[in-house]
Amino acid sequence: MRISRNPRRAVAAGAVLAVLLPLSACGDGDDGGGSTDASGKVEGEITFQTWNLKANFKSYFEGVVDGFEKKYPDAKVRWIDQPGEGYADKISADAAAGTLPDVVNVSPDLVAPLAKAGLALDLDKSASKYEKEYLPGAWKSHQIPGMDGTYAFPWYLNTGPLFYNKRLFKDAGLDENKPPTTYDELFDDAQELADKSDGKVATLANVPTIEDFGRYGVPLMNKEGTGFTFNDAKGVELLTKYKKLYDAKALDGQALTATPESTGKKFLTEAVAMNPGSALDLEKFKKEAPRLYENIGITPQISSTGKDNMYVMGVMVNTKTKQTPAAVAFAHYVTDAQRQMEFAKKVAIFPSTEGSLDDPYFTKQDGKDETRVRVAAAKSIKTAVNYTPVLFSEQMKVELRNSVARALQGKQSPKEALDNAVKNCDRLLQQS
Amino acid sequence: MKSTTASQAAPTDLATAGAARKEPRPHGRGPRRGIRRQLPTSPWLFAAPGLAIVGIFILYPFLSTLNNAFTDKRTLIEGDYVGFANFQELWHDEMFWIGLRNSTLYVLGVVPALVILPLLLALLVQKHIPGITFFRSAFYTPVVASIVVVGLIWVWMLDERGLVNALLEAVGVGKAGFLSDQWLLLLSAMTVTVWKGLGYYMIIYLAALANVPRELHEAAAVDGAGAVRRFFSVTVPAVRSTMVLVAALSSVAAFKVFSEVYLMAGPTGGPAGEDTTLVMLVQRVGTGLTGRVGYASAISVVVFVVTVALMLLVLRADRKEDA
Repeated sequence: MRISRNPRRAVAAGAVLAVLLPLSACGDGDDGGGSTDASGKVEGEITFQTWNLKANFKSYFEGVVDGFEKKYPDAKVRWIDQPGEGYADKISADAAAGTLPDVVNVSPDLVAPLAKAGLALDLDKSASKYEKEYLPGAWKSHQIPGMDGTYAFPWYLNTGPLFYNKRLFKDAGLDENKPPTTYDELFDDAQELADKSDGKVATLANVPTIEDFGRYGVPLMNKEGTGFTFNDAKGVELLTKYKKLYDAKALDGQALTATPESTGKKFLTEAVAMNPGSALDLEKFKKEAPRLYENIGITPQISSTGKDNMYVMGVMVNTKTKQTPAAVAFAHYVTDAQRQMEFAKKVAIFPSTEGSLDDPYFTKQDGKDETRVRVAAAKSIKTAVNYTPVLFSEQMKVELRNSVARALQGKQSPKEALDNAVKNCDRLLQQS
Repeated sequence: MKSTTASQAAPTDLATAGAARKEPRPHGRGPRRGIRRQLPTSPWLFAAPGLAIVGIFILYPFLSTLNNAFTDKRTLIEGDYVGFANFQELWHDEMFWIGLRNSTLYVLGVVPALVILPLLLALLVQKHIPGITFFRSAFYTPVVASIVVVGLIWVWMLDERGLVNALLEAVGVGKAGFLSDQWLLLLSAMTVTVWKGLGYYMIIYLAALANVPRELHEAAAVDGAGAVRRFFSVTVPAVRSTMVLVAALSSVAAFKVFSEVYLMAGPTGGPAGEDTTLVMLVQRVGTGLTGRVGYASAISVVVFVVTVALMLLVLRADRKEDA
């Protein structure tokens, strides 16, 4: 009897523990954090996390860290880099476990949930003195609708032109030197390319995303940030035009399941005639598809609003940091005009700091294609907009994409599909 | 009598009985009692590392998932208990039913193929002929290949401009939307699962076939049974329990399919999400900074219940056959 009784007790105790442990996890996980006051002495060790930058820019970031440590001898920075794939999952795991680094490279859509969970430092309270150093639009890019404050320093910006394949345009009887500049021209040219090639050459390889709706002039969200509005008449109009393209095979057959990588590959293999990109892509075309590079055409983004789409990167300070002054000082140091300019010269990105875009590097032509793209993009970025609402999560992107696919397949009307997408995105917004 | 020990003497009253209990036991019984004392603890000590791993990595996450299924927990927000609200929402969630349909179709499509084809393959490579080891290894190669690599290779082959479509066009059939049509996509993913699993189950069948007595085949042959008759009358009954095992293993794996469909249908789960499976749905709704952990846990609980039911169903069918 004694032999079996103890194990039973142990198993019972284990089971009780196993049940209670998860229940205990439902308590308040607040373990206290650092101060929001960034005015103290810059000292102590902080951790800085970047998003897939170590492979190509190791020496640049080591230089940044060294420079900071030289400027503030009592401070030490530990730099870590995470791969691009699954970056949001890594941040969410760290945030949930309370191991989020002190200074984190983020995009606006990542900042929103972190700010809502009280993990992103409000810079309007802790570092407002730096605001004037940045472009006003860039500073606002990390503000969350429904919340007061700015939750990350703006870092680099990115935008780019539309690339098109001159040979495919020419083969279809189109003027390869007159690419489309409006949506109407784009849809007409796409139809012609599909007709002339008997459906073998599609012009676009991706279904419209939230940025496309924004560029088309569709209002995406209400002013309060409490609901989405992309199901209005203009949104329905855009989707109806895309449906026509899809039916005419002017939109690639695999567009419904495409990813940015797969659409890039389609363009590279000359299966589609147009694709958005950046100056970085030119180098790739030169190396991986010399025939395409010979025929590459470059044209500005098509936009009905007169404003291009841009992507924004930011640097956030974790509210739980024990070294708030050092973390804020470092986040500012990485994103200040000097560091951003240095970084921009290493990679095809654009600084978000006031006046940096007036540098001759972004204004003077030297006859090279890369420079042409850079100068044109730098010009457009001054007025560009990040069309992706900061509250538009990954799940919402999937909802929109699935609804668009239903409309393109004819399973739902464009209006019905967009109403459905808005309804589902609003529900997700309420639950976030 | 006074010289006898207390334990040998039968106590005559309560007082002496109590005294007898306090007396030390005879020297000779000490070691045996020592062994008995060690018995309860020592096996548990040996088992402790294993139990700790099971407890931390299996039992705790399982119970935690069960607990979360009744909360509205999100990635960064602990949430509150909501009773059966998540399960009620599942009932009205179109994507859940699509996921359940696809996971069930996956079981129905993949399991019969994985029960029968590896058996036929095992019969082919069972023969001891020169060079057969090469074929055994070749058929086993997909098992050890990474699913990501396998998925990418098949995506290239089944692409609109891939090898398979080029062949179809060459013979005049025309292109097929293996990666764009809802049903063809699911079928393509099933093909990859079967292709990758063939070698694994072939090895299991090879072991089972090695135990089929040769005399049975010889006797059947003497009685005039041909190869097909011998297969159904000798081989199949002999490996029936292995077939049940393969059916059970492959049905659970098929119901939990993720990688093949994710790699071929993309993160949206095919056009309009029509190829989403239940596990893909768990991943989609439960991860990321805005992940609905509670809701994803509720889907996981459904997956668990269905897989247990599948196992029981297969085992019950086996028992009926035995009876």
